[in-house]
Amino acid sequence: MYEVFFRKFNEKVALLPEEEEFLKQYLTPKKLRKKQYLLQDDDVCKYSCFVEQGALRAYLVDEKGDEHITAFALEGWTIADLSSFIRQEPATLNIDALEDCELVLISKSAHDELMLSMPKYETYFRILITDAYLALQQRTTNIISLSSEQRYKVFTQMYQSIFQRVPQHMIASFMGLSPETLSRIRGRISKKK
Amino acid sequence: MSTKKTIAIIGASGNMGSAISKSLSKGNYRLLLCSDGQGKVEAVIADIKNSNPAADVESAECSAQASWEADIIISAVPYAAEKEVAAKIKEVANQKIVISIANPLNETYNGLVTAADTSAAEELQRLLPNSKVIKAFNTTFAADFATPVIDGKQVDAFIAGDDEEALQTVSEVVSVAGFSPIVAGDLSVSRTLENMQLLLIQLGMKYNYNWLAGWKILHN
Repeated sequence: MYEVFFRKFNEKVALLPEEEEFLKQYLTPKKLRKKQYLLQDDDVCKYSCFVEQGALRAYLVDEKGDEHITAFALEGWTIADLSSFIRQEPATLNIDALEDCELVLISKSAHDELMLSMPKYETYFRILITDAYLALQQRTTNIISLSSEQRYKVFTQMYQSIFQRVPQHMIASFMGLSPETLSRIRGRISKKK
Repeated sequence: MSTKKTIAIIGASGNMGSAISKSLSKGNYRLLLCSDGQGKVEAVIADIKNSNPAADVESAECSAQASWEADIIISAVPYAAEKEVAAKIKEVANQKIVISIANPLNETYNGLVTAADTSAAEELQRLLPNSKVIKAFNTTFAADFATPVIDGKQVDAFIAGDDEEALQTVSEVVSVAGFSPIVAGDLSVSRTLENMQLLLIQLGMKYNYNWLAGWKILHN
């Protein structure tokens, strides 16, 4: 139920058995079926969500009703509308399950208590946010400086696991491309090979 | 749009369980109904779908699986069966809202089996130390769910618990069921709430209220 969660936690900060037991009290185990929502926009994001098994996506819907995927999350990753979670304001993102999921949720109140009472949790969260920031910085840099074709190559190298599990139109949405453009890029790359 | 919550109802084929299931199927909830007699749950689901084809309701084979999926768990079993239910769901109910509806009545309905310094809700909290146990729906009869307005007045439904956010969430659930929610206090107030229903049952038998009766606080 918490196997991947504690493995990933221990990779960042090593926990003693009694510390694992203490932390466990604050965790909410949750199963979500494919296509079910963890969060819908306008609702407040009450949980930080760790993926024990399965896949989810976060997306926003623009004024025309088109979806734009901002993030994916697979086993071992954490997903949330961070701004809504931290500020407890209505979310701008929707988060739903792409596959049947097994999740480990941490509510905002549990998070706040842990930040104060468990220094190792604070360290874990700091590393989590730092890593996420670095990934975001890399993504922004890539969008500004690389061609679509280069970005596609970087994406397939960095996120091979997503690539294998998520339909192409969702990858196009995540990259800010139309499915047709993505298809042309893939065509050009395969010709070069 | 608010995110749809999943509610597991354990003991869903009983009088109270089926009444709660029917009334909550009107709300923005996904309901997972479980009970020992699975066939009877299917009958409750058929009944719900018959009056509300859009209802998001299905049966679940076991209470632990249903509670794992759930955001809110309703224990709609008699007090004597709560220990067994708690053992099954303890791990997956961690940090979740568990609604205790039971009244710990003795066999002749003239007293409670719990000691004066505790209540069914507090006993359930002891069995599920990391869950947010909330007392609700114990002062309402099963028939009240079909008729939450009696003699022109909306029946009050009292709620008790220790977690503010959980009390808020359960108040919404109680409103969806058609009652007027009143947060009575912390979980120890369950002792009073359980005794209130004992009194209502005794009065009901004495004056033949026919199991359609409820509490209403009159105030200015």
